[in-house]
Amino acid sequence: MATDALGEERPTLFLRKATGLVRGWSVRDSMIYACLSTNVITLGLVEFAYQDAFPAGQLLTAVLVSGVWVSFLVLAYSGLVVTIPRAGGDYVWQSRILGSGLGFVMAATGWWFILWLWAPIYGSVLSEEFFQPLWVAFNDPSGAAWFATHTGTFVVTLITIAVAGLLVSLGMSGYARVQKWCFYGGLLGFAIIVILLLAFSRNDFISAFNNETAKLFGMKNGYAGTIADAGSKSIGYTPAPFGVAGTFSQSMLLVPMLMFYLLWPNWGTTLYGEIRGASDFKRVFSGMFFGLWTTVALSVVLLLLFAKTFGFNFYQDANALWIDNAYSLPSAHALPIFPYPVLLASWLVNNQVFQVILLLLMSLWFFAWVGTLFLSSTRVIFAAAFDRILPDGAAQVSEKRRVPVWSLVLMLLPAIGLAALYSYNSTFHTYTLDATLVIAVTYLFSAIAVVILPWRKPDLWAASPASRLKLLGVPVVPAAGVVTIGLIGYCLYEWLSNNAYGVNNNDSLIYMGAMYVLALVIYLAARVIRSRQGIDLSLINKEIPVE
Amino acid sequence: MKMFFATDIHGSEICWKKFLNAAAFYKADLVVLGGDVTGKVMVPIVAHHGYWEVTVRGERLRLDSREELLKVEQQLRDRGSYPAIVTSEELDQLSTQDAIDQRFNDEMTHSLDRWLDMADGKLRGGAIPCILNGGNDDIFEIDPILESAPSVTFAEGKVIDLAGSGFTMISMGYTNPTPWDTHREAPEEELAARIDAVAARVPDMNRTVFNFHAPPYGTGLDEAPELDASMRPTHGGAVMKPVGSTAVREAILKYQPPLSVHGHIHESRGVAKLGRTRTVNPGSSYGDGVLQAALIDINPKNGKVKYVLVNG
Repeated sequence: MATDALGEERPTLFLRKATGLVRGWSVRDSMIYACLSTNVITLGLVEFAYQDAFPAGQLLTAVLVSGVWVSFLVLAYSGLVVTIPRAGGDYVWQSRILGSGLGFVMAATGWWFILWLWAPIYGSVLSEEFFQPLWVAFNDPSGAAWFATHTGTFVVTLITIAVAGLLVSLGMSGYARVQKWCFYGGLLGFAIIVILLLAFSRNDFISAFNNETAKLFGMKNGYAGTIADAGSKSIGYTPAPFGVAGTFSQSMLLVPMLMFYLLWPNWGTTLYGEIRGASDFKRVFSGMFFGLWTTVALSVVLLLLFAKTFGFNFYQDANALWIDNAYSLPSAHALPIFPYPVLLASWLVNNQVFQVILLLLMSLWFFAWVGTLFLSSTRVIFAAAFDRILPDGAAQVSEKRRVPVWSLVLMLLPAIGLAALYSYNSTFHTYTLDATLVIAVTYLFSAIAVVILPWRKPDLWAASPASRLKLLGVPVVPAAGVVTIGLIGYCLYEWLSNNAYGVNNNDSLIYMGAMYVLALVIYLAARVIRSRQGIDLSLINKEIPVE
Repeated sequence: MKMFFATDIHGSEICWKKFLNAAAFYKADLVVLGGDVTGKVMVPIVAHHGYWEVTVRGERLRLDSREELLKVEQQLRDRGSYPAIVTSEELDQLSTQDAIDQRFNDEMTHSLDRWLDMADGKLRGGAIPCILNGGNDDIFEIDPILESAPSVTFAEGKVIDLAGSGFTMISMGYTNPTPWDTHREAPEEELAARIDAVAARVPDMNRTVFNFHAPPYGTGLDEAPELDASMRPTHGGAVMKPVGSTAVREAILKYQPPLSVHGHIHESRGVAKLGRTRTVNPGSSYGDGVLQAALIDINPKNGKVKYVLVNG
């Protein structure tokens, strides 16, 4: 038995020896998970490359505004975690607070179907940040360029899907250990890049860039040519000068874009289990909050150093030329591969071994992150099968090897199909932000759930440590839910009304709409089929009267 | 035959009340509680002259009226804590392990007595069959109380006829050893022997339900967060590992009853097949006041099992 004096001399509660009484999560572990989910290297650097959609916007301003805004989402989700601390996250919260049907549709679309699209996005990142730069470092530019072709992207995506599927099959135990060391290795790589960009001057970089691009791609005067090409009539791109000034409204338009990497500090909330006690809110919140702000801090450091050593205009011009080149608007100084800042920084040291080591170290950011691709999908498929919405087989685990065979099939096969579309259909490629939008919609309903929680489940709310948090008499967690609704509402408005995000077109809307229809059809079909089998699915979340 | 199976309510009075109402709500023929009935937490409420003091979720409260006291007591009971009203002197005396154990046991048994009084009314004096068992977290002192209660059947080690359906149930509240060294734990060999002893008395294994608190090892019904030496979940709780009983698994594979119900691992709500046997762990969410359960329909003619997991 144990006692807890909560800082006083006399005990305020007694615990007897019983199963499940464990210490709280390590804040450091959940911080690492949140930081890896909002991954500045894999997702952030790729998204920074698309800033040319809003040339007068300031990335620095947008990153900071996004960080503050997403912090409210962290507050809202922390409230849900400590109030209904069940593994299952959005599915459990929405099912209990908003109803089973809505819970299933939002969880199936946001944590399962849309992950099919994330698979080729992960594959693209692996191609752009691992295979392409590594082949360049090996002095094989044509090999590197192959990885940027349709087939190259598709093959790398298949590799990614196979790796992520294998990790689900083998379980997370071994991977979680590797994941932590990958994070530390990635930080070491990050530190080396910081030192390089601090130690070398702009002129050093110009010289290194010109030498390497001449040697590898036959470019002449690559640095100046990049700036000239971007500003040419055909491309017509002039980025805003670096800083926090500039057009605030344009910077705000970058916020929905940056959600591609900053919206995920709560990715681990599907994993949280039995948590209780006032201090646990702080612990849950701290893990996600500091993970998010570590990412924001790393982003700011990178942008400042890019501006100092690469020159911000050059950095954005190189990105703009690369994107235009990919969409059939070639120019003489467009790099045939992703202008991966790590590769650019590695060129500052004229040593092939060093370059390869740095690229490998930074690839750990990817390998620490890839294992989570299908993890949440498995959980949603299992939960839906246990709720009898999917056939029993969907949750079946092979007796000998404990591999969830059918859930893997339900994840991997559609992902392979979408990978082919993403790789070979350049229009489909522009739907990348659909992957963010659909999950944001799921978050939106969780935010609505947290706002109405005190009214829908007053007893549950009263017993929650989250209900004690008040500011000027206003409960902080539901208020944070309102701000989160504002964030997602704003992003949805921009995504769906502004063509620059690539989301607002008929095919994209049909693609996303089809996912919601599919989820709804599955749910309604399950209701009918189970009813015929004598199983009433409406009972699942009906509360038994107490008195 | 429709059976309502819940487990691991750990002293939550709101869950107990829901359990008692479940037969009427779901039109079940019988209700079964699979163990870990008693709570883990005791909260002292210090009585002063004209008021009481208590700390709830880290917040110190002064209760100035009996109504306030009753409200806080009920809130504590609903979430699985035992409110213990003590004087300052009595609280000071709770400084030794023996004194704490004794007070905890008193609160647990008194609470169980109250619960069983409620059951008499709700279950119409035994007209609705109700089967209860202890789990590894339950002290042995509750066994005679359950045994003597008129409206419930204490299940440990017995072969119980299920509501005249032709099916029987055998039960075991013991589990394989846990890191917490709880009350009803035994090595796997002993669990196997206990199961074999009661299984030998079953008239027809094809018409038997196993009610073993420990889930079978490696079925997905037994996944708990991996803990480090300081009992902290490793890797932010991302790593789960199987902690079920190998003896229970072997027994299911050996005897192959149509259904086997389990609990113990709250976060491992699920259903799995082990050979021909359908194994179920409805999990537990007692801390939220939600009664997770399995509503199971067994066809008496062919032994086919239908189920739905509910959050009542």
